[in-house]
Parts: sequence; structure tokens; C-alpha cells
Amino acid sequence: MPATSNLRATQTARPSSPHTPQQQLRSGNTSFASTTSPGSSLRNEDDAIIIEIGARWLRAGFEGSGTPVCVMGFGPEESRRVGDYRGWIQSAAGIGPLPKPVDAEDWVRDYELWQPDLRKVDLGLMEDKIERVLRETYNQYLLTDAGSSRLVLALPSLMPHPLLSSLLSTLFSRWRFPSITLLPSATMSAIAAGLRSALVVDLGWAETTVTGLYEYREITTKRSTRAMKSLQQMMGRLLSSPASGEDQDATREDGISVGFTYCEEVLTRFAWCKPQAEDGEQADQPAHTVSIPSPTCPEQEFYDVPFSRLADPVETVLFASGIAESELDDEEKSIPLLVHSALQALPPDARGTCMSRIVFVGGGARILGLRERILKEVSSLIQRHGWSSVRGRVVERQRQRLEELRISSPASGQKLPTSNNAESSAEGEKLDPSQEVPEIDFVEQKLRRQNKDTPVPVQGVLRQVESLGAWAGASLVTSLKMRGMVEIEREKFLQNGLAGATRDSEPSIPDRRSGLRAGERSSWTLASWA
Amino acid sequence: MSRPFPYTYISCPCADTPVPNPARKRRSRESPQKSTPERDTEGNEDQNGTKQSDVKEKEEEEKEEEGEGEGEEQTFDPRSPRSNFSLYPPEQLLYCEDCHQIKCPRCITEEVVSWYCPNCLFETPSSMVRSDGNRCGRNCFNCPVCTAPLAVSSIENVTGNGSGQGPWVLSCGYCLWTTLDIGIKFDKPTNIRSQLQKMTDSTTGPAFDARSRQGSRAFGDLKSPLANFASIDEQSNTREPDAEQSTSQEDATPTPHLGVEARFAALKSFYRTQLSETSNSPSDPLSSEFGFSSPGALNRLMSLYASSSRLSGLYGGAKKPKSKPPVMREALTASEGLRIVPESADTALIERIASPDCGWDGVASISQRTEQSPDVRFVDELLPLPVLLRTKRAKRCKSCKHILVKPETKPQSTRFRIRLIALSYIPLPTLRPLAQPPASLIPGSAPNLDLNALAPLRPYHVLLTLKNHMFDIVRITLATPSVTPGSVASKVTVLCPQFEIGANSDVWDEALQNATAPLSDRITGMRGGEKVPEAGKVWEKGRNWTTVVLEVVPGTLPGSEAEGGQATGSDIAAVSQKDEDVLEIPVFVHMEWDAEAQLEQQNVGKASKPDDLVARELAYWMVLGVGRIQASL
Repeated sequence: MPATSNLRATQTARPSSPHTPQQQLRSGNTSFASTTSPGSSLRNEDDAIIIEIGARWLRAGFEGSGTPVCVMGFGPEESRRVGDYRGWIQSAAGIGPLPKPVDAEDWVRDYELWQPDLRKVDLGLMEDKIERVLRETYNQYLLTDAGSSRLVLALPSLMPHPLLSSLLSTLFSRWRFPSITLLPSATMSAIAAGLRSALVVDLGWAETTVTGLYEYREITTKRSTRAMKSLQQMMGRLLSSPASGEDQDATREDGISVGFTYCEEVLTRFAWCKPQAEDGEQADQPAHTVSIPSPTCPEQEFYDVPFSRLADPVETVLFASGIAESELDDEEKSIPLLVHSALQALPPDARGTCMSRIVFVGGGARILGLRERILKEVSSLIQRHGWSSVRGRVVERQRQRLEELRISSPASGQKLPTSNNAESSAEGEKLDPSQEVPEIDFVEQKLRRQNKDTPVPVQGVLRQVESLGAWAGASLVTSLKMRGMVEIEREKFLQNGLAGATRDSEPSIPDRRSGLRAGERSSWTLASWA
Repeated sequence: MSRPFPYTYISCPCADTPVPNPARKRRSRESPQKSTPERDTEGNEDQNGTKQSDVKEKEEEEKEEEGEGEGEEQTFDPRSPRSNFSLYPPEQLLYCEDCHQIKCPRCITEEVVSWYCPNCLFETPSSMVRSDGNRCGRNCFNCPVCTAPLAVSSIENVTGNGSGQGPWVLSCGYCLWTTLDIGIKFDKPTNIRSQLQKMTDSTTGPAFDARSRQGSRAFGDLKSPLANFASIDEQSNTREPDAEQSTSQEDATPTPHLGVEARFAALKSFYRTQLSETSNSPSDPLSSEFGFSSPGALNRLMSLYASSSRLSGLYGGAKKPKSKPPVMREALTASEGLRIVPESADTALIERIASPDCGWDGVASISQRTEQSPDVRFVDELLPLPVLLRTKRAKRCKSCKHILVKPETKPQSTRFRIRLIALSYIPLPTLRPLAQPPASLIPGSAPNLDLNALAPLRPYHVLLTLKNHMFDIVRITLATPSVTPGSVASKVTVLCPQFEIGANSDVWDEALQNATAPLSDRITGMRGGEKVPEAGKVWEKGRNWTTVVLEVVPGTLPGSEAEGGQATGSDIAAVSQKDEDVLEIPVFVHMEWDAEAQLEQQNVGKASKPDDLVARELAYWMVLGVGRIQASL
């Protein structure tokens, strides 16, 4: 570490030096990597390309625009041979019913770019798909020369190294990108919501991740396999079942016999989420029926489904209804539990900030009513458990026993009021301090008075903030000429690959502050991707 | 089945060279620093192995036989999912004359020559392309519902009572959608794009423009005097949001529902102000990333942005700001881009979806939505889509940078200045079934052959014709695996694996040749019916083409009757959906020819001698799609 400390020393020394003509020169440079403010005439040419890649979709566009130019999928239509126009001749694959029920995993496999389980992923095939989809993106939508400008990738911050490595080497070896910047998608989503701290709930394809961000830093991440993939599979089973009679439970374990695209269409159009269960409400719901294309013949026939039935997959998959909390494994917690436990894992200060800045992103965030329901359930969880992670029957019994002890020990006639007191005090112990009325602290008051003009941030209440999504965040960050922590240069990557990254997660910060350009950075890091 | 039977595909040789992955090389050599999955490291070694062999191949480029030997170890499998990405119809491939190699879209780089609208064929200047969002800036629109082109027509035309005047609408001739459905009319029949832009932007409030001036002034006021005379950069900074019509920071009038773009612009200007505000005192020790006041990574990053070092150079040493430096804050109001989701925002939407007047068709489909703003949910929120521009692109070889294709820039012109298509270098393969399988072999076979229903276990003869477009005689060696890969094992035999194809000489040569050639050859060619395919003999030969016979015995489908299993209809359908019943034959083609030396410019003076000939060779896999195998015998 002598090198780093050395750098730091020079860093602190530099500002105090009387003049730094060299740096002026640098910042006056209009090279694209320079950090001068925008305004040079060449800017337009050098606009970085922002790409967000997920397991199902790829969004691509230019920095500084609010929406991506295109969204591309990775379906079987996209991996046909060149000159194979069957997708146009027949109705697109995946709409009609399948001739034979298939396993739920096989059903989705063709449609996803990668899986979290890399044992089943053919990395070569993934490289092929990425190459083609990116080539088509450039040729059809971006309409610029591929590889001439910087590339910014918004990626989930937890990405298997083999995946990341083959993704980067495909990009670098196929095109001449001077450098690729990686930006964490959770943070980008928070930025696109205008926040510095947030709890980002990404209802993604393979898994739902809940990331606690504090001052742009990822503090905790919790994940669950209850996500869009299993939702889609459940919807597939539900739609397969009317074909084979109404008994839904019998076919549950069987394969899926409806087309994937058809199912996805139903899911995106009509999937919804019931508000938190209240007894009186259930009665009037089944009155609604909607007609959706019949799974056996989606081109011509329609058939009626009770609208409430279309909410069932969401209920069973995302909220794990009908399964006791204790039955759930760690990786398949229901979404409200996941959010709650993520909040719980945060330090109290951060928790208070994050809980009033909940950002929902990902494909599942579009499901109507889902976000609200999650928040409601989380708030009821907070009411029930507070922030203590100790819960369960035994604990409850213990508590009751203690209570009884406390009640019996005074052994006087004022049984009722004491028990009430005890209950409330027990409740109060469990409750988070953030829920109590804060004591008035004179230091706090003074600080308040000092920063009168700065607004007090909202804290401690559950609140939901809308984000423009990770892509927009990455575009925003890039257009503000901020540099990512992870900027991978072509030459350095081609020499050593990912292994060339320094272990130390933040060695290059001093560099960045001094305004050194990319070429002068001695080492690069993978930061949170390492 | 990807095209009507029979078809041919050529696999670009680039498929054999894996993406060079420096990490793999390194990781397998070192002890894996991360706990990579077991299988993966195995794969690495595997990859490594093939890579080494590739290097070897390159070293011994002259001895192609060795490379071929290795190629035979791993027969090209047309069924593997990866082969879909390397197989191309022969006419889509290019050829690099310098590398002497086939080039597919994967091994070329492309440069945009010109942009044009495919609808109006107007060329868009490169400076306009990006500002128009890569879409036509004139009157070309696609229907948001069915993607058919929209026509500008007057309302009277649409409603049906004549006169050519009045407000105009865009209407779709296919699905009868008009902009009236979303309540949009145009005053003029021209410049629809800008008219539409104005109308759709109005969601952000017409006050936007009026406010921008005041906003920019406020923006200037906010800046500290230090920043004001600091640099020209800063000045241009202030101008930027001005140009983008940002909302002013003070103006807290809640804009009820900003569109995505408007929110993005608001956020952008918000961050800009924050950045310039907070980077005023960069010399303050507290504001450094090691201090506690600004732990954010963003804050750290942005300190670069406002040329902090320069400022600090001028003032940093002398002046210490007393007050705590401002910390970047988060967006607080809607005008800063914050949007707090109101409670029970979705209930109305749920009711709308469930209501009978919305229904399935009222909700936008996935494909309709992909092109629209991400907020769109219902069909009546869809906006007409300006037509995406297209490009004419020059193509270069990725490895040697030589131009392979260079089109003329004019959109109307379909001509090319340079176009090196592979078919002028490699023989064009065509396939056709031998019309009548000789009666001696299969008695009682159906006279007309249905390639979509090949009977399993019955020998078929297919004629493979290779047509040479080069001016040199080409020697061809064909090789196929004796049993096709995949679950359906069909037996394949090339009856004549080695043959020559004549040069693509003048057409007159053929006439003259034929005149001199013994007539008997041609006659046997005519009387194809009597001819019997013989091993080691060419079936037919012409001026620049040669036909050989392949004998194919289709295998039985898994679980079909022929195999003794009970085939259910659904099983067969599943098989056919996965294309497992398609009979595709991988054929390795190795061609050799004596080309004229490239140095001919140098010895222009001399008469070209036969010594100048250079032996060249090329090898690649091709895939012959013969037909679909029937389930039953």
C-alpha cells in the first residue's frame, strides 16, 4: 500500500500549491474522457452508450436521454438462424398452445439470457446472443458506429464472475470500445429517483433483490427467489389448467402447456394484486370477469376468467400466501418479509431514512397494486414485530410466562391495570425508538435552528418514491460527467481479464479527484463486483 | 426447418475461434482466486485447449490438413443452439480478399455511411440524426397499434365527407387507427413531427417555456460569487440547463404528472445545481472524501466535475471557508424530479382494466409498449411512432480492416462501390432430390418426393451441385460424418467426395467445349432416369458446376413406431416443434485452387507465367437441409 498512501500524500499536497498549470491544461482538453464541463462541439459524437442488461431484456440508448432508444429481448425468435423467417410466417412462437406440457424450467429457458445457476448456462451461447443483440441494437436503433464511443453498463452489483468476464470479453473483442464503465443498477435506480439513500426493491426475473442504499452506498442486500420467473411459471400453470379441467391443484405439479409469449402477455396486461386482505372485500371481487384469449386458440377465441383469479399467482408467488412464515426457506422469503428483513438489517439511522424512500423497480413493479400491497404488509409486519428479529411461538410463550410472573408477583387486586401496563411496556420495549415520540434534545434543537433553511428529511414513515429506472439513472450519471468507480479499459482488460483488477476496492479515488484521465490511471478495480 | 426444403447454409469459420477471454486463460493458470464453480474451470481448460489448438492452426496455416483433422474430432452440429449464430445463407456471406477467408456479420465491423428514412427516402444529415432521436423528422409515422405506416389525411377524408381542407390526422390504412382515437389533430399537413412534439410535451405544462428564463436567472443567483467568476466552464454550465428548459429550482408549483422525459430533465437540472453548489469549496478539508461530511460516492465523483483543482489552485491555500460546505441533498419537490407515489394510486387502474369497456384490447401489448414511453399501459395512451431511420453501412474486415462493402451514399441508389460477396469466391451449393429414386433400389417408391415427409430407414438420393464463380478450377473434397449428429441418427454417404469444378470461364467456352466433347457424355446426362448413382463417380458436370450424389438414410424419430415405441401425437408435435425431425447434414468442404499471385501489379510487364500461380485453400462447414422425417414408416 505504499503507492496508495503516496498518492494520497500528493493529493493533499496538490491543492495547496500556488498554481497547477498542468491540470488546467488537462481539464481544458476536450478528449471524451476528460472531465471538463459539457459544451465542446464534439460532445455529441462522443456521447456514451448506456446499456442495461438483465436476464430477459437489454435496454440501450444514449447518455443524457430519459428513455432508452430500444428494448431488446432474448427470446427464441432472436436466436433463430439468419434467413429463418418462421417467426413471421407462423404466428410468433410461444403464442399457441404447446403440443405437450413441458417442465416449468424448460419452458422459460429459451427466453432468458442467463440463469443465476451457471452450471446450466452455456457461456458460449450467451456470448453469441449478446453479440447478436448488440450488433442489431447498433444497426437498427442506435445507428452509430459500434465501439467508437464509451460504453456504460448498468449491471446488478452481484454478478457471477464468469458471466461478467465473458460479457466483457465479448464486448471488448468484438468491438473496439475504448473503455467500459460498470454502474450498479440499484444505485442508479436511486439516483433516477432523485435520492441519496433508498431501499431499492428490484422485482427482477430470477430473483427479487432488496438493496439498502445509504448515501449511494449499498449497505445490505437481501434476495429471494420469489420473482417474475416463478410468477410467470405460476401464471402458466394457471392458464394451462382450464384446458385440463378446473381442478387447479391437480395440474400444479404438471408441466405448462400454454405458450410463453401468450402467458407473458396475459401477465403484463392483466396480472394484478389484491389489496391487503380484508374480510368484507372478497365477496364482490368475483363479480368481475375479463375475457382473455383462450390458451388453446389465442388467435381466435376468447374466454372469460374471473378477474380475481388473475391475482392468484401474485398472491401465491410473491406473498407466499398459504405458507407459514416458518416454512419458508431463507432464499424464498415472501417480498414483504424480505423488505422487512432488509430494513431490519440496516442500522437504525439508515433504516429510518431508507424506509421512507422505498423504490420499486424491475418488471414486477408494473403489476398493479403490488407495490402498495407490499408496503401495507411491511407496515403491518413492523406493527407486529417491530424491529426485533426474535419471534415465534416459543418467544411468545416466554413472554407470556414472564408477564404472568410479573403479574403474579405483586399479587394484589389491581390485576387488570398492571397487565395492561406490562403489555404496553413490553410493546414499548420492542418498538423501535424511531416510532416513539423523540425526546427533545437541546443539541438536536440547536442543530435544527442552525440548518433552518435546509429541509428536514422525511424519516421513519413508510413512503414510496418512484424511480425512472436504472437505465435512466446511468444515463443521468454519465451525462453529468461523473465517472464510475469501475472503468475498465480495453488494453488492460485484454491483458489480464478480470484478474487484472486490483483487490482493493477503492484505490483509485485519489486519482479521480485529481482529475487524471482514464489513460493515466494505473490500476482498475471491480469495486463492488469484485 | 428454417427455409423451404431443400436448403443450404454455410457456417462461418469464425465460429471455431472462441472469444478470447483473457480471464479464462489467466484464471486456469493461477489458482482460482474466487471460488468459481467446478464445471466452469473445467470449461476453461477446455476452452484453453481449443485456443491453443487454434494458435497451432494459425501457425501451420499452410497445412490445413491438420486443422481439418482437429475439426473432424468435433463435427459441426447444426442442432446445437450455438450453430444458429454461425450459420448463414450462402448469399449473405462476404469474403475478404486479404485474409482469404469467409466473413460473416460477426467478423466484420460496420461504419455508417448515410442515414435515411425508409419511408420517404430522404437522407438525414448526420448532425440531425441524434437530435431527431434516430427517427424521421418529417411526416413519416408508424401506427402504434399495428406498426403499419400512417398516412396524413384530412378529417373529412376519414369521416367521409370530402373537401380537402381542415384539420389533419394520421390514419392507419391497415387497422383503421387514427390520431383522433387519442384526440390529436394537426393544423397543417406538413411538419407533423414537430407539431406532435409540441402537443405531447404540453403535459409538462405550457408554463415551462415561460418559466425557463426566470429559472435560469434564479439558477445564476444561486451560485456563489466565487463560482461566478471562476471559469468559463461554469458559465457554460449555467447556460446548459437554460437551453434544456429546466424548471427553476425555487418554483415549487407541483407539476402534477411529469412525463418521463420531463422528470428526467428536472432531475438532471437538479443534479446540475447541486453539483455546482456543493463543489464551491473544494479546498475545504471536510469536503474531501475522507471527511465525514460527504461520504457519498457521487459527491466524490462530482468533485472532478467542476474543475475543483483549478479553483483550489487559485484560492485554496489562502482562503478557508468558515461554514460547513454544503452537502448535496436529495430531490425534494416534484420540480426537482421527485415523485412520491400517492397511496392507492393503482386502484383506479385496476378498476379500469377490469371494466368491460377496457378489456384485452384496451391494454397495450408488450410489443406495442416496447417502443413507447415506459409509463404507457393502455392503448389509448399510445402515440404514433416516427419511422426509425435506416443506415447504409460500409463493412470492413474485422481483422485486416479492408473494406468489404461500400454502398453508394444516396438512399435511392441500390448500387455498391465495393461488394465482395462470398459467392464469387466459394462455390454456390444447391441441393435437390434425385427426382425418381431408381426402381432397382426401392421397389414401389412414390414417384413424387415429399421432402416434408421423408420416410425413415429408406435410402434417398440427393443431388448436391456446386457452382464455381471463380475463374480458376477448384478441387473440392467433401466430408460428412457417416451418421448425423443429434437424436435422429441418419446415415449419410457422399458417393463422390473428391471432384473438380471447372472455371467460370466465358460462356462461349462452354459452347465450344461441348461441341468438341464427346456427345455420349451429354447424352447420358440427358437420360438422367436411367443413370444409376455410382460410388466414386460424379453425377453430372457442366462448365463451372459439378453435381454429386449423396445417399441418405433417414433415421427414426425417437419414440416413433419404427423404433417400436408408441408415439402419441403430442410427442411427435413436440419433436417437430424442436426441429428434431429435420434432416440436416453437416458437410465439411475443403477447396483448393491455384490463384493468380497477388503481386501481378508488380510484374505487369512480364507475361504471366503459370509459375505465378499460388495454391490457395479454404475450408468450411456447410449444412444441407434435406427434409423432414416422417414419424411413421
